[in-house]
Amino acid sequence: MIASQLEPTVIKSGDNVIIRMPSLNAKIVSLNPSKMVSLGKFGSFNASELIGKPFGHTYEIEKGGTIVPHTTAGFDNADITEANNKEIVDNPKSQKLTFEEIERLKTMSLAGDVSAKEIIASLTENNEAFDKKTEFSKSKYILRKQRKFMKSFVPLETSVFNLCSYFFEFNPGKIRGIRADTLSQILSLANVYSNARILAVDDGQGMIIGALLSRMAAGGQLLGIHDGDSSNYDVIRYMNLAADSRDHLQTLPWSKLYHTVEPFTEQLAENATADDKSGRERRMRGHAKLSDTIDNLRRGEFDALVISTNYNPKSVIERLVPFLGGSRMLVVYDQSKDVLLETFTWLRQSPEFLNVQLTESWLREYQVLPNRTHPLMNTSGGGGFILSAIHLAPVDKPSTSSASS
Amino acid sequence: MFHQYKTLIEDGDLVVVYLNPGSMLTTTVKAGDMLNNKYGNFRHDDMIGLKYGSMVKSRVGTGFVYLLHPTPALWTQVVPHRTQILYLPDISFISMYLDLKPGKVVLESGTGSGSFSHSLARTIAPTGHLYTFEYHELRAETARKEFIEHKLTDVVTIEHRDVLANGFGKVGIADAVFLDLPAPWDAVAAAKESLRRDTTGRVCSFSPCIEQVQRTALALDEHGFSDIRMYECLVKDYETRTLPMPDIEEAINGQKINFKPNWSERKKRKLESGSGTPTGEGGAGSEIMISKPVDQARGHTSYLTFAILAPEANN
Repeated sequence: MIASQLEPTVIKSGDNVIIRMPSLNAKIVSLNPSKMVSLGKFGSFNASELIGKPFGHTYEIEKGGTIVPHTTAGFDNADITEANNKEIVDNPKSQKLTFEEIERLKTMSLAGDVSAKEIIASLTENNEAFDKKTEFSKSKYILRKQRKFMKSFVPLETSVFNLCSYFFEFNPGKIRGIRADTLSQILSLANVYSNARILAVDDGQGMIIGALLSRMAAGGQLLGIHDGDSSNYDVIRYMNLAADSRDHLQTLPWSKLYHTVEPFTEQLAENATADDKSGRERRMRGHAKLSDTIDNLRRGEFDALVISTNYNPKSVIERLVPFLGGSRMLVVYDQSKDVLLETFTWLRQSPEFLNVQLTESWLREYQVLPNRTHPLMNTSGGGGFILSAIHLAPVDKPSTSSASS
Repeated sequence: MFHQYKTLIEDGDLVVVYLNPGSMLTTTVKAGDMLNNKYGNFRHDDMIGLKYGSMVKSRVGTGFVYLLHPTPALWTQVVPHRTQILYLPDISFISMYLDLKPGKVVLESGTGSGSFSHSLARTIAPTGHLYTFEYHELRAETARKEFIEHKLTDVVTIEHRDVLANGFGKVGIADAVFLDLPAPWDAVAAAKESLRRDTTGRVCSFSPCIEQVQRTALALDEHGFSDIRMYECLVKDYETRTLPMPDIEEAINGQKINFKPNWSERKKRKLESGSGTPTGEGGAGSEIMISKPVDQARGHTSYLTFAILAPEANN
């Protein structure tokens, strides 16, 4: 029997952690054990308290910034009752606590002198309309107050799913508006596996590059083509990847696509200083890296070409498809369908591609509670579009003479 | 094959034969054999030595077919349906939510037609493992043969076993559990037992009916799973066309334009000529390129219920 050999995921010093607050707002925190993590009105805790702890628990913040695991109450079994909202009228006076009294409670709560439970209890006690509410709306009222007053949080792993969902919600522009379900379909369509060789263009700060990397292991190779001098795959740094994971990633600027690598000829002067030596070594390493990357590109026969670009997708495909193997997938993402239409039509007419499809993923999340199961009231309007096609082997080359890669 | 690409087709290899967008089949290439279909007669000898993704021509007539490399995504399109199967959107979403990657150990029940099993195996190979369980003896046997033919036995173990009655028989080994069962709530305790307790365990239950979701969610809650989330995921396929959009002046001047209402005209594939050129570049303002979802789409597959099992807190 084969048991999972992967290291258990516990929170380590320096890890990036997504902190989900009671309001369902979230932030990414890089854990420095000597620092406090401030969650605003939800309190502050010592980062060191989280080190060594598992992800996924709910922690309550106590006085002084210590944290304790909070046993989640589980489903509340609110039953259908006779109560209804017939008697309830909108009345700001139904809450007998004054604004000042509530503010005082909040201040005491931040100092750790009163618990969220106590605040919510006094809010419901002093709310004249509370007893007239149905059990459902009582539970909804309490949930709403918990989201406001609970001093708790959930540390979440920066998994590909969690990271993509986080950026999609709080900074969609960074990742070119790609939603996790759409991203997941790219990985399936591109047939990413441990030692695949993948060519990619990701102008969405590495969300796609990172997702591809996460599915690869020793032997896999990912080559990212980027504009400018250096790549911006910022998302990857949040992924807590093992140190060797980045070894699978090579990057090449567009401007070097047709670059010819000359042998490294720089000589050290007779009176070279230590700085000169280390400078030369750095340039030599850079030269070797560029040379390796270009060799890898020129070898062609990549197992997938994945593109998310701000440039004309058709022009990008035309430049990179010669490096894609036969019976391998081309997958293009864009936030907007319009951007892909011309490319889609062109691919459909091209004899180099089969099974050309333009799709949009549709995702709906539901609340599941006893007697209260329904789709969430708020959802995202869209998660992006995927253009995919099977690339055929070139017909002009006599295939028998080509060596296997 | 399914977790390792190759370039050339050799004797004994599995190929996906692509006839047209709605029609694909698989065949194992064998020297001397012949593939016959409505497009002609294709000699396996002509296939050997070709690159995957090549076209092969019929020895008689002008017919041709394409020879594709098997992948889990293509397998999902050609697998003989012995049960309702999982399709790409659900497969993709579940795999990402369960955080699957090389090295993960996954339990699946039931195996069904093995559509998802192929994707799971590809994703967790070569260091991970899939244990898949099927209570229907014949289906288990058929899947076992397929896994052998597809050279997946290094990453997949199939067992003929009724998980609802007997559990998984695995304790504390799995990173993730996938349940596709008529009464998944009865397998929640078994799922919990099989998950690792030193790290976050993840479970997904795949059920077509909302009543199943409600019972499963209750069972997950009772057994200490948390973060119970439920999703539905589908895809919409689009088609495009170039639409003439003349100004109304044309009609005022007595012209009557022939607007074709039909979307489903497929452009004939060009056999020779290099890459095609788009036809969408019409005259100024007279043509636009438009798109719409295709007429028929899958409206429901199943609800995906997820939960995590947080490890024992060590304080």
